[in-house]
Amino acid sequence: MADPYQELGVSRDASADAIRKAYRRLAKKHHPDLNPGDKAAEAKFKEIQGAYDILGEEAKRKRFDAGEIDATGAETGPSQAERDYYRRHAEQGGRDFRYQRAGAGGPDTGGFGEADLSGVFEDLFGERAARGQARGPRRGGDVSYTLTVDFADAVKGATKRVAMADGKTLDLNIPAGLQDGQVLRLRSQGRPGSEGAPAGDALVEIQVAPHPQVRRDGQDLRSALPVTLGEALGGGTVTAETLWGPVKLKIPKGANSGTVLRLRGKGVPAPKGSDGPAGDHFVELQVVLPEEPDETLVKAVTDWEAAHPYRPEGSQGVRQ
Amino acid sequence: MIGERELCALFAPLQVTTLRHWVDLGFVRPADAAPAFDEADVARVRLICDLHYEIRIEEDALPVVLSLLDQVYDLRRQLGQLLAAVAEQPTEVRARLQLAIAGRQESTDHDA
Repeated sequence: MADPYQELGVSRDASADAIRKAYRRLAKKHHPDLNPGDKAAEAKFKEIQGAYDILGEEAKRKRFDAGEIDATGAETGPSQAERDYYRRHAEQGGRDFRYQRAGAGGPDTGGFGEADLSGVFEDLFGERAARGQARGPRRGGDVSYTLTVDFADAVKGATKRVAMADGKTLDLNIPAGLQDGQVLRLRSQGRPGSEGAPAGDALVEIQVAPHPQVRRDGQDLRSALPVTLGEALGGGTVTAETLWGPVKLKIPKGANSGTVLRLRGKGVPAPKGSDGPAGDHFVELQVVLPEEPDETLVKAVTDWEAAHPYRPEGSQGVRQ
Repeated sequence: MIGERELCALFAPLQVTTLRHWVDLGFVRPADAAPAFDEADVARVRLICDLHYEIRIEEDALPVVLSLLDQVYDLRRQLGQLLAAVAEQPTEVRARLQLAIAGRQESTDHDA
C-alpha cells in the first residue's frame, strides 16, 4: 500500500481540514457506485479509504507519523471488510428491480440515441466474439466500416480520406458507378494478426446518399426538368443540369408534362474493363404554369378551350 | 433481511429517524413493508450514506443524484441484456450489427 499522504495527494503537514477535503474530492471521483463501468474504481476507492482511515483520525495519524503503524496497519479494522457495493445489485437486478426509475424499463427501450457506447460494442464484437478461437498464429480479424458518399461521387468516382479505427487515415478510392450497399475490401487494413500472421482486411460498406433531384436507374440517371408553358407549346432550348455539368437541351414543339428526353452518355460511366457505352441521363419534362397567371392568359386559354374542348385521360380519377 | 435498528447500527452515524425520512422520500424502498431490508437495500443505504456523510451531498440534492444514478443503472441493465442477447446470435448477425453500429458512429462523426 502506498504512502497515505501520497494516496490523498496532501503534504505531511497538511491540516485535518485539508486532508478531509482531499479525501472527499477523491471519494467523489472514484466511488465505485458513481463509476459503474470502471472495474478499477473499487480498488482505487479502497486505497483512498484506507489512507483516510489513518490520516482522518488524529490519533492514528500520529501513530503513523511516529512509525508505530505502517500504511497497511489500519487495513485490519472492520471497516475494511469486503464491501458490497450497490452497483452489484443495480446492474444485476431483473425486470422487477425495485430501484428502477419510474417510467424506465419495460419493453419500450428502443433506441439508444447518439450515446457513445463504442467501448461496450468493441468489447462485444472484439473480445467476446474472438473468444473460443484456437490459439497460435492467426490472421487478424476483419474490421467493418460504413461510409456514406455523395451521390455524385458514387456515380463519377472520387477519392475519400477516411479515418480508420486505429487512428490512421487512408485515401479510399471510390470507383465510378459504385452502388449503394457495395462493400470495398481494403487488404491488410483490419486488425493485426497474432504471432506474425497477416492482418485482417477492412470492409467498407458504401452507403450512397440520395440526391435531391437525380435518381439512379441501373446505368441511367433520371430527373425532372421544369419547363414553361411557352417552352412546352412552342419548343425551345433550355439548360438541364447533369452530374457532368449543364447541358443545352432542345425541347420539341408540343412537348408535354411526362415527355422524356435523353441526354446521351450523361449517366453512369461504363464499369472499368467493359467497352460498353456509358449510361444516359433521362429528363422528364414538367410543364409549370406561372405562379400567378394574369387575366390575359386565363382569358386566352378559356376562350381557346371553349372552342377546342378536350378531356385529358385519367381525369375522371383512378378506378378501383 | 434486517430491521431498521440493525441497519442503522451498520452505518454510524445514521439514525433511525433519518432512515425513516429517506424511506418516506423514496430514496430507500424496503423489500418488506415491516420494514425489513434486504442486501440490495443495505447496499443502497451504504451508497446514500457515502453520498451524504462522506461526499457531503446535501439532502436537497440527493434525489437528483439518485435519480441520475438510477437512470444510469437502468440503461446499463438494459444494455447488458441487449449485449447478452446479441452475444448469443450467429456470427453473421453480429457482423451485420457491427456494420450498422459503425455506420451510425460514422454519420455521428460527420455531424460533429
